[in-house]
Amino acid sequence: MVSLLRVAGVVTCVATIASPLTAQRTAPATFAITNARLVPVSAPVIESGTVVIRGGLIVAVGATVAVPADARVIDGTGLTVYPGLIDGFGTLGLPSAAPAAAAGGGGGGGRGGGGGAAAPRAPNSTQAVGLQPELAVVNELGPDAMAFTAPHAAGFTTAFTSIGGGVFRGQSAVINLDGTDVSTMVVRSGMTQQLAFSRGGGGGGFPGSLFGVFAAIRQELLDAQRYRELSAAYARNPKGMVRPAYDPSLAALQPVLARQVPMVMLANTQREIERALDLAKEFNLRAIIAGGTEAWKVADRLKAESVPVLLTVNFPRRTTTPAVDADPDPLRVLRERVEAPKGAAVLQAAGVTYAFTSGGAFPEFLANVRRAVGGGLTPEQALRAMTTTPAQLFGIADRVGALEAGRIANLTITKGDLFAPGTTVQQLFIDGQPITIPVAAPSAGGAGGGRGGRPGTLDGQWTARIAFDGAEREVTFTLTQHGAILGGVLEGSFGSATLEEGVVQPDGSFRFAAWLMHHDGLERAEFRGVRQGDALVGEVAVQGHGTSRFTGNQER
Amino acid sequence: MTTTVEGSMTTSAVALVLLLAVPALSAQAPRAAAPATLITNATVLTVTKGTLAGTDVLLQNGKIAQIGKHLTAPAGATTIDGTGKFLMPGIIDPHSHMMSDATNEGSLSVTSMVRIADVLNPTAPNIYRALAGGTTMLNILHGSANTIGGQNAVVKLKWGRTAQEMLVPGAMPGIKFALGENVTRKNNQTVIVQGQPAAPRRYPSTRMGQEVILRDAFTRARDYQATWADYRARLAKKEAGLIAPRRDLELEPLVEVLEGKRWVHAHSYRADEMLMLLNLADDFGFTIKTLQHGLEGYKIASEIAKHGAGLSTFADSWGYKIEAYDAIPYNVAILMRHGVVTTINSDDDGRARRLNIDAAKMVRYGALTEDEALRIITYNGAVQLGLETRVGSIEVGKEADVVLWNAHPLSVYASPDYTFIDGELYFSKAMDAERRAARVAERTELEQAEANQAPSGRGGAGGRGAAGTPPAMPPKENH
Repeated sequence: MVSLLRVAGVVTCVATIASPLTAQRTAPATFAITNARLVPVSAPVIESGTVVIRGGLIVAVGATVAVPADARVIDGTGLTVYPGLIDGFGTLGLPSAAPAAAAGGGGGGGRGGGGGAAAPRAPNSTQAVGLQPELAVVNELGPDAMAFTAPHAAGFTTAFTSIGGGVFRGQSAVINLDGTDVSTMVVRSGMTQQLAFSRGGGGGGFPGSLFGVFAAIRQELLDAQRYRELSAAYARNPKGMVRPAYDPSLAALQPVLARQVPMVMLANTQREIERALDLAKEFNLRAIIAGGTEAWKVADRLKAESVPVLLTVNFPRRTTTPAVDADPDPLRVLRERVEAPKGAAVLQAAGVTYAFTSGGAFPEFLANVRRAVGGGLTPEQALRAMTTTPAQLFGIADRVGALEAGRIANLTITKGDLFAPGTTVQQLFIDGQPITIPVAAPSAGGAGGGRGGRPGTLDGQWTARIAFDGAEREVTFTLTQHGAILGGVLEGSFGSATLEEGVVQPDGSFRFAAWLMHHDGLERAEFRGVRQGDALVGEVAVQGHGTSRFTGNQER
Repeated sequence: MTTTVEGSMTTSAVALVLLLAVPALSAQAPRAAAPATLITNATVLTVTKGTLAGTDVLLQNGKIAQIGKHLTAPAGATTIDGTGKFLMPGIIDPHSHMMSDATNEGSLSVTSMVRIADVLNPTAPNIYRALAGGTTMLNILHGSANTIGGQNAVVKLKWGRTAQEMLVPGAMPGIKFALGENVTRKNNQTVIVQGQPAAPRRYPSTRMGQEVILRDAFTRARDYQATWADYRARLAKKEAGLIAPRRDLELEPLVEVLEGKRWVHAHSYRADEMLMLLNLADDFGFTIKTLQHGLEGYKIASEIAKHGAGLSTFADSWGYKIEAYDAIPYNVAILMRHGVVTTINSDDDGRARRLNIDAAKMVRYGALTEDEALRIITYNGAVQLGLETRVGSIEVGKEADVVLWNAHPLSVYASPDYTFIDGELYFSKAMDAERRAARVAERTELEQAEANQAPSGRGGAGGRGAAGTPPAMPPKENH
């Protein structure tokens, strides 16, 4: 019998080495977790039982399951085993594709497209960068084991992933977060197309505004409809008809127009969601809303139109004490922070299908899920939103999302109940391979530790000036970098916010998103930049306000 | 009575945001029909039919149902004593950028494909502030960064409703054009973003170039129109194997302009550029519905009247750029005397709640009658939006967009006591006052909530000392 700690030790060592996966591939293929509390989700809880894993699959689950002779046995006393949690939306697995370079390639007649995070470029496309639905995230994946440390600690074995920039964002995939090669990571691909109403980058190209984005989307969908007609006519009788030019962009939209593939639309505020639903109605699309912070305000319409929500649990909240001379937060912002965690319960009561997404805030994920439970969900409902529901939405309910024999051996193992305060994830199995969560996971990756910033990282406090709507405003970023993951908080004249989806690229450039308090409420801002000596320089795109530049200096 | 009307008209920005409404945490409730309202014994400024002293007005089923003396309130009606008060039509602001999440698609010189209606923000606090100033309808326009801008949206300021419910069905579709400095100045801005090539300068750089852009666009629109006409003719002949031409969202609205189905609202200042546009429209056979700003309109009032254009301007705002220097406050009066349908607009969310004062200035400059002064912020705006049979004056059968003022609205002492849209109360001083205490209590309660507390250990002067700790670990649960 091998103790859990021992497995933990081995894997922790391996995880800090560049390529842990080859090592894991030679690890034993058969495991038995005994005496554990089992939560299959699809069946009643088993207070003490055994899960047997062989060859990457679950082969047995039950109270009285025989342990195979060749199994490496893990004593699960005191542990609870859940199906591997699924992050319902995000950009995991993308090697942050150095967007600056990819988009900055410019060209394309100056038609920038894209959003705050730039989109990759599809070859031979007829559309500008950012408007290329033929992109597929599976072609952009580049696993980086370290990038999964934080999602693993949050309990995620599996994630929906799509390209992070642009308007049309291409085909999505569900990946297992085992950080091996792409071919083994992908669980399913191409099950949805993504659409974001993010304005063009700073290049000055069309579309450069929110209504320009709508116009561009509408024209492209109309063109795709006509492409369908032309192609059908030519297929019926090519004689005497000039063949329609092959168009990879318009071809890629055909499954969406045919309602075979849903369109995942990023929308958080009520009005963004209503716009998305209006667009879906206009073109008879199958819609899924991603984000959905205010989806509860539109619950009846979502239910009536059978639109599911990939609901972020990265709820807005105050992250810092306001400066003594700061204006008080608007009532609206105070309300949003209190109401957001109650939204899932409203969706539940209205009968709207929803799955949870981390919103990129992995270290806070479990605490955030507990907030949603505090907001009126039962733990069982919350659990389904991380397991069976996303599995169904992504068409993989027969493979993941439940502890059942025959399914992929993705397990999330906790010490204590997942919904009890303080419970942390101890271990994962992904495709039947154990991954142990290091204690205090993120800081384990740090080289120097210590306060005041480690050399070679973005750690520390930065005072940044943002040219915004014609005025210069000041904010303070408190950044903490762990490998490729960038976390932290922002405060200043835009209120305070937790940074989301923070990533540091291999080339040293970084990006993150944050909700800024501005005029009427919270607006999502996407920051991209690079460190130049003691300074940060970059740009920030805010919905409705275009792109601005910012510069920052480290406080000493 | 209704949960849709909340807020304040205080001048304190802090207090304003404090009082703004958010729907209760529940799904949308079905709308109840607005109850009838009888306003008694008011001075009624009908705008089109003179001033009626000591008159009652009944608002019922969203319409102005009766006007007269000693009217009887129907069962269930609310009665408001209008003694000493003044009832006028809701103010129509013919040039606004309020509640729009985008203003300019400045990337191209022709952006007729973009639509304000796609990006409305029905929760913009300025909606409520405008209601508190007696404004009930806006013509929301694209900005002036390019020669042919986007499609407008006409809304009623139904605070608390969705954007779709605010849009006015039947308003004439419009489109923004822009001439002069804003277009050329935009062109001279070179956008430099780090790591990207500087954005190319956009054609045109001169007023001459703006004319070329317009002629080119309408020539293309004519070709497009002909392509579709040909297709429709062949379709009518039941020709086999037809495939519709490509729909072009840039040219479709311009064809609508050519066919008189979409009205042009053209930002312009100088007499020469306005004449250029009127002549160009004559060449292509359409009418410019309004010249917007038009500070030099007085120089060419006859020509504007002859073309059939209206004009929407400022009362006394000029000198803010070179092309805005040769202005006089008599512009409105001179245009009115030449028969031009003229309005005063705000182009500004702050001015949008004080348009009555701008109208009053036109009594001082140019001696407009009171009716004429009110007309330039009500009925004439309705004409410019194709809604004069529905709004803009107090007449039986018109939509009940009315405002009850505590004094004559052309007085600086006047402010609205009640603002109705389609017979429904969206603002009243009494409701506003009532809600203030509730808002203060709500704030106090919300500030106690965990989500509004700074996490412990990251407080003080901006969380100094947080560096080096793990990113945003849940402070209470994981430590």
